Amino acid sequence: MSYLFLAGLLALLLMVLEWTQPGLATPLRPICDLRVLNHFIKEAQDAEVAMKSCREGCSLSESVTVPQTSVDFDVWEKTNGLEQAQEVQSGLWLLQQALSLLRTSVTNTALHSHIDNSIRNLLSINAVLRSLNIQEYTPPTSAAGLEGTWRASSATDLLQVHVNFLRGKVRLLLLDAQACQQDVS
Amino acid sequence: MTCFHLSRLLALYVTFCATRDVQGARGFEKKVSLMLKEEPENPKCFVESRKDFTCFWEEDEERAGSVDQYSFTYTYQNENSSSCPLRALPAAGGKRLFVCHLNRPQMFVQMDVRVHREETLIHSRSLLIELVFLLNPPANVTVSSMGQKGQLNVSWVAPPLKYMDDSMMYEVSSNTADSHVGKVARVRASSELILRGLQPSTKYKVQVRVKLDGVSYNGYWSAWSDPVFMETLPAELNLLMVSLTLISSFILIAVSLAMLLSQRRFVIKKIWPVIPTPESKFQGLFSIYGGDFKEWLGQTDGGIWLTPEYFYSAECPSPLEVLSELSPGPALPFPPLPPKASRAPTAGIKEDKDAMNGVDESDPALTERWRATPHDHWLMDRLRALHQNQESSLLESQDAYVTLSCNNHGEEGHPDDALEEASPLEEASPLEVLFASGKTALCESHSDLGSALRSSGSGGLSSQCSFEYPNHRAWRPKGPGYTYMAVADSGVSMDYSPMSRGDDIGNVIIYANEYKNEIPGLRRPFLSRQHPDG
Repeated sequence: MSYLFLAGLLALLLMVLEWTQPGLATPLRPICDLRVLNHFIKEAQDAEVAMKSCREGCSLSESVTVPQTSVDFDVWEKTNGLEQAQEVQSGLWLLQQALSLLRTSVTNTALHSHIDNSIRNLLSINAVLRSLNIQEYTPPTSAAGLEGTWRASSATDLLQVHVNFLRGKVRLLLLDAQACQQDVS
Repeated sequence: MTCFHLSRLLALYVTFCATRDVQGARGFEKKVSLMLKEEPENPKCFVESRKDFTCFWEEDEERAGSVDQYSFTYTYQNENSSSCPLRALPAAGGKRLFVCHLNRPQMFVQMDVRVHREETLIHSRSLLIELVFLLNPPANVTVSSMGQKGQLNVSWVAPPLKYMDDSMMYEVSSNTADSHVGKVARVRASSELILRGLQPSTKYKVQVRVKLDGVSYNGYWSAWSDPVFMETLPAELNLLMVSLTLISSFILIAVSLAMLLSQRRFVIKKIWPVIPTPESKFQGLFSIYGGDFKEWLGQTDGGIWLTPEYFYSAECPSPLEVLSELSPGPALPFPPLPPKASRAPTAGIKEDKDAMNGVDESDPALTERWRATPHDHWLMDRLRALHQNQESSLLESQDAYVTLSCNNHGEEGHPDDALEEASPLEEASPLEVLFASGKTALCESHSDLGSALRSSGSGGLSSQCSFEYPNHRAWRPKGPGYTYMAVADSGVSMDYSPMSRGDDIGNVIIYANEYKNEIPGLRRPFLSRQHPDG
């Protein structure tokens, strides 16, 4: 009886603490291992392949805004870290919106799992960026006229942009992250 | 002086640049040939680094036009198209290359390429530039043999590409100098590798090539680096193992030697068995006469051959006394009395038979002996003495006596008859002679024999002829001309059935020609023939 009472008391205490959210969260350990990102990239590629083989019920209802994925290394190296981070985070946000729209547009159930996976992975990348002490950035809501974006009208294009973005800018950002650089040196 | 130095420096620089260009050109040719093999699509595009993007296609010299006729346009996604300046290069096998080079390609974005010749689209392709990497082979490949045998440490310098070090994949091939089949080891994101499982004291050829791993970047396998040769360490002799092996082998040898020595006789008997020889049975045959059997028979008293028990395995032979009839005439045959009658019972019978019949036989040696008259006298005296002294003993003994003194004539006219008579009888046994002839003395003995036979019963007269000679008087020598030979027989197996006794008197020869046939060698001294001429 006494054990039960103690367990109940402990659970109550934890609930209270969770609810109040006291203090700062402990800083996350930086995720510098790029194998996590590689895993996300591979899953995005699987989704792209699945979309290419889809015949029916796999089209965008409307065009979506997607980020530019092209990387000119010279330009990239000249860009500072903050801008790079902002560019990446806004692109990730745009992709999340676009994939959510695709999820509602696509009726093919096989693709649903792929799209859900991709959305989950994008959120995980945000967490990785947070772990690297990259400041969070949310682009303004009116993203239509944003620089470095364009309108994609087909689901295939969207998923291709998704893959290219992860492989390009996101990866370069993670590679260049200061937190990881300090560990290496 | 400064001008001179400057000119020298300039010359060196130009040479250096030319060499670099030559090397670069050679490298480019290598890559072109690689691309021609690997990439099926046209135009063939590859990127060497972040800043060198090359596209080319190949055309036959005859059909190719000038460079101006061609146009190369590329379009990035969501951008305007651009044109790339072309240049023509000669290629092997009568071909021409048209090459487009871009310094700052954009990656991670789709690129559409179109090639036109005189407004005609000849090639079209859509690609992602970060997926067509063709790197230079790794440089500074060094191979060193580590402290352990069968291992080589290979290290190299990765291509200098920023952001791509962790995406690189290497292949290390190791071949022995004389074989084409070798091992290939793959390693990721590392610039060294330890080759294991190699043969000791062997020269190996090591080469390395690189490729991007395909997650973020992709491409083709680079060319193999220049080969590096290195020999592996020789196999070491582990001191402990060697000493253990030696000690255990010594112990094994010692144990086996001890076993062999303790079982020496057994081993020798098994390995070198004694070959059995019949020497023990033939005394002196091999040692004295060297295996000459005839010689040995002639010199010895016969030993085993003359013993009837060799044939019959019966009882010991009883002595046989042979009495032969002698005629006073010198022409008459006179068989010599054997000095040891007991040793020649069977032969004596034969001799006696021949003597009684007076059969001649052409035996010059015996004839000579018989002509010795002093010997005759001696014999007669001897016989008389024998009769007188041994009469009682003879009669009382168990031995059988057979008198073959029926033929008293011994004349020359009779030898023919005797010969005729004897010749068929020669086939028969001496006892047949005894029973066949109808002389008085013989009849007497015959009747006695019959009585004796009766007394012996129907059984075989196997062991000893145990009939006595009751009538002593008949034994007395009737004159000087008569010599009686008492034949003692033993070991004769005769089957006298009651039926056959009286009826088959003439055919009582039951036993085969054993005496006669078995000892042919002994006939010679005892055969007695009378030469008619004397």
